[in-house]
Amino acid sequence: MKILEIKNVHKIYNSSEVKVHAVNGVSLDFEKGEFAAIVGPSGSGKTTLLNMIGGLDTPSDGEIIVDQTNLAGLKSSALIDFRMRNIGFVFQSYNLIPVLTAKENVEFIMSLQKWNKKERDDRTFELLKAVGLEDRINSRPSKLSGGQQQRVAVARALASKPKFVLADEPTANLDSKSTETLLDIMEQLNKEEGITFIFSTHDARVVKKARRVITLEDGKVISDERKN
Amino acid sequence: MIWKTAWKNIWRNKVRSLVVIISITIGIFGGVFAVAVMNGAIEQRVDAALNEEISHIHINDPAFRDNYDMQLLIPDAEKVLSSVEETPGVNAACGRKVISGMANTATKSAGVQIVGIDPEKEKEVLRLNETTMPATGDFFETESRHKLAFIGQELAKELNIIRYRIDQEMLDNLAARGVPVKVLDRLAPFNGKRFKSEKAFKKEMKTVLSMKEQHEYGALIKEEAWSFRTRSKMTLTFLDKDQMQTGAVFRIAGIFDIKNSMFEMSQVLVQNKDLAELTGLAPDAYHQIIVRLDNPDASKEMAASLEKKLPGLEIMSWKEIQPDLAMMIDMISKLYAFFMVIILAALAFGIVNTMLMVVLERTKELGMLTAIGMNKKKVFQMIMLESVFLSLIGGVVGMIFSKIIIGLTSTNGINFSNYAEGLEAMGFTSHIYPVISSSFFITVTVLIIITGILSSIYPALKALKLDPAEALRTE
Repeated sequence: MKILEIKNVHKIYNSSEVKVHAVNGVSLDFEKGEFAAIVGPSGSGKTTLLNMIGGLDTPSDGEIIVDQTNLAGLKSSALIDFRMRNIGFVFQSYNLIPVLTAKENVEFIMSLQKWNKKERDDRTFELLKAVGLEDRINSRPSKLSGGQQQRVAVARALASKPKFVLADEPTANLDSKSTETLLDIMEQLNKEEGITFIFSTHDARVVKKARRVITLEDGKVISDERKN
Repeated sequence: MIWKTAWKNIWRNKVRSLVVIISITIGIFGGVFAVAVMNGAIEQRVDAALNEEISHIHINDPAFRDNYDMQLLIPDAEKVLSSVEETPGVNAACGRKVISGMANTATKSAGVQIVGIDPEKEKEVLRLNETTMPATGDFFETESRHKLAFIGQELAKELNIIRYRIDQEMLDNLAARGVPVKVLDRLAPFNGKRFKSEKAFKKEMKTVLSMKEQHEYGALIKEEAWSFRTRSKMTLTFLDKDQMQTGAVFRIAGIFDIKNSMFEMSQVLVQNKDLAELTGLAPDAYHQIIVRLDNPDASKEMAASLEKKLPGLEIMSWKEIQPDLAMMIDMISKLYAFFMVIILAALAFGIVNTMLMVVLERTKELGMLTAIGMNKKKVFQMIMLESVFLSLIGGVVGMIFSKIIIGLTSTNGINFSNYAEGLEAMGFTSHIYPVISSSFFITVTVLIIITGILSSIYPALKALKLDPAEALRTE
């Protein structure tokens, strides 16, 4: 079942002097339950592509279809709502809300979606347990290590049961032990609960775990390998 | 969750938030307290006007107030008086003769309004008797074979009935009250001297005392130098009912001090029987009936109902008798709100500045929130709530603080004696008891919330314009 279709997507940045073709005719399909890494050197267009998939940026040309919805057809407010319900985000620098506890960070989206308290509490506990932080639910981000913060970010991304999770260089700021733990958790969630993960990365450890590796160079897909 | 997050957000940068909160606290405290002082002064003015000067309702011939023609008496005045007294809602009423005349002493004279009253009945309507200055006499209570007049302090000064003297006893009193020897030494050359008027006394004091000394001890020296000979004389002259010049010597029964120079200067109260005898008017003939109501706020309605009951007479509520006072009361509540709006508008700029910094500092976080699905309405709401919380904390603390200070000062009042002359010329007392209604605090709270909301609009719009992808790239 296709949950994401990228059809001949281009992104051109027009600065005053030069025209930058950041993404150049990328076409990709993703099935439910994939664990895919988009790799490539800096400036290859990974983040731009990921931003467009996540509806944070609009393609100059081409279409992005998430679960049969063309993102281009959504107005700004509908797009925000669509993101909330369908796409989970994990950022390189965790981006948790510093004044809220781990629990509050995770339930933030659910409260925006007006879930009732009982449902919120159950889901939050379930997710924090899944990322191994059930004993840190009342800690603020400043009291957590980088790896722990990123695990909270993963739990937050999964809170609203999205179609897929986009993770932009999630391990870039982590040491190897934290990276390993985080990747194990994500792999487990992927295998056991069928959650689709799409990473942009140049971390070899992530690439090693990924079951599909898409390589970008100068905004173009130069290889798309699937492992068994 | 948005409320909780907004609340926690304002404590991220405690110092900055506290600076804003303190500035709001000071602004609100200053505004509320200043309003309480103004309000106290006005309430005291109204209270004095209603209880000491004019009462609640006046009844007279429709043409009487034009030129106080003494022929314009209330027909069947006693009947009218009893009819008024029987009206429900009327607390007390009394009749008065009111004629124009001259008050003279050996050296000075002044135009005055001579009011013939029955002291016992008058006391039920007005409490001017309670304002009798110590050691000047009383409100016609001591029997005398002479005709008596009750006059105001300003008139007594004007007619040189009140004089100023410096003698050994006065200097000793000043020393006992803590006036330094240095100052007493400067007054010593005047020992035994009498001054005819306040003006002459003040002039001399200015030549011997420095500005600072005058400021510190002037009021005290004036108080001790003040001298009055009991039962001083003055002559009142006026026309009788046949338009013939008449008059008599009156002894001063007492001097009243109501901190209203104009009223003190113009009113001379004498006994009705004396005025009846001198003018040839019947003792039960009155120019004016003054009425005290149970509820002064109902004076307009009561005047209207008395008008129906007593056709052919002019019936005026205190708001019509003193329209300036009525206007002041009506205007002042609007003025208070306006005053607070100006203060809050100034504070709003501080809040806008702080909230702009908040948005700037949290660019990346706001981008993340939009990315994960927080819509524009919620972002706007969060920024707005932070601004409202900041304003409300400062506002509430400011209001609590002002409530405490108003509570403390309302018992003993605030002494503005240095400005007494100017204040009393306008009818205001120089000892002000700040007072404020609870409803004013509600108005201020609403204004603070509005300020918080308005101050958040510009910073919140800035936050809404952020592009999430770009905002997420910021460091």
